Amino acid sequence: MSDQDAVALNSEVKPKSMIRAKLWSDEIENLYRFQTAGYRDEVEYKHVKQVDLVERWPESGFVKKLQRKDNTFYYYNKLRECDDKEVHKVKIYAY
Amino acid sequence: MCFLIRTLQLGKTKTPSYAEAFTVKAMMKNSIVKGPKKAGAFKERPAKPSLFRIFYDRGDLPVAVRPEPTGNKISWKVDIVRFDYSHLLPIFFDGLSETTMPYEFFARQGIHDLLDNAGPEILHVIPHIILPIRKVLNTRNRQVIRTTLKILQHLIVAHDGIGEALVPYYPQILPVLNLLKNMNVNLGDGIDYGQQKRENIGNLILESWRQWRYTEENTLSTALYNDQT
Repeated sequence: MSDQDAVALNSEVKPKSMIRAKLWSDEIENLYRFQTAGYRDEVEYKHVKQVDLVERWPESGFVKKLQRKDNTFYYYNKLRECDDKEVHKVKIYAY
Repeated sequence: MCFLIRTLQLGKTKTPSYAEAFTVKAMMKNSIVKGPKKAGAFKERPAKPSLFRIFYDRGDLPVAVRPEPTGNKISWKVDIVRFDYSHLLPIFFDGLSETTMPYEFFARQGIHDLLDNAGPEILHVIPHIILPIRKVLNTRNRQVIRTTLKILQHLIVAHDGIGEALVPYYPQILPVLNLLKNMNVNLGDGIDYGQQKRENIGNLILESWRQWRYTEENTLSTALYNDQT
């Protein structure tokens, strides 16, 4: 976790800016997974759920399991789930 | 006039009688021997409402559907890790015989989620899921068989040793697959658009069989290696 993330985690999590993703990458894939579960990103997830680690697939490093705000669980594939047509919907927040 | 003669001629012709094969009637001049009746080997055999449907309608299964822009997704009300697989997995496999929404979706997607998160305990569940698999394959519904084959392929890679654990149960699974293995399309140089969607049953069966053989050979070679060392 970067210093920027740590600062955001400690204080009240409020992003300063947002841009849309243009190309798919591992990072975008993970953001897509967090956003389908109802979170902005990993920072907000850790802040809301008060967890240190997010369960990930060992092979790809993609997020494996997320708990939504209503305490239900989402499980994700080990392979890519974010299609090219979905990439532009992913939001990248900066703190 | 000509029309009148023709109708009179037609009126004179005897109507042929159809007879069963190997009967006395079949040897008569004017009789036509009927072919054998269809055995119905490929005919669909609709299954009764599954256990999965009963449990879901009663609200016993901790699953809910959540529509997403990319398609529906299952949200589990309880963490999968806490489940008793020997109880839950056979119910989900039984649900594969369903063809209607939401049962079909929950059963299919639920099994994929369960298999993804399965640990070594899944090896003990194999004997319990054979009967539902057999029941599902016996429906001979094409869509159901396609889904089941894809799930069997996932099952094999879900954990080490599952291919080996399935070997004693091949007599339960393989007869239906043997029946349908030639269900392929011979298009010459045409394009089978179902190929990329993995909808061709013949190809799916061949693919699954190769995967099973591969895991078997691997386990056999590992066992031999262990014996030697």
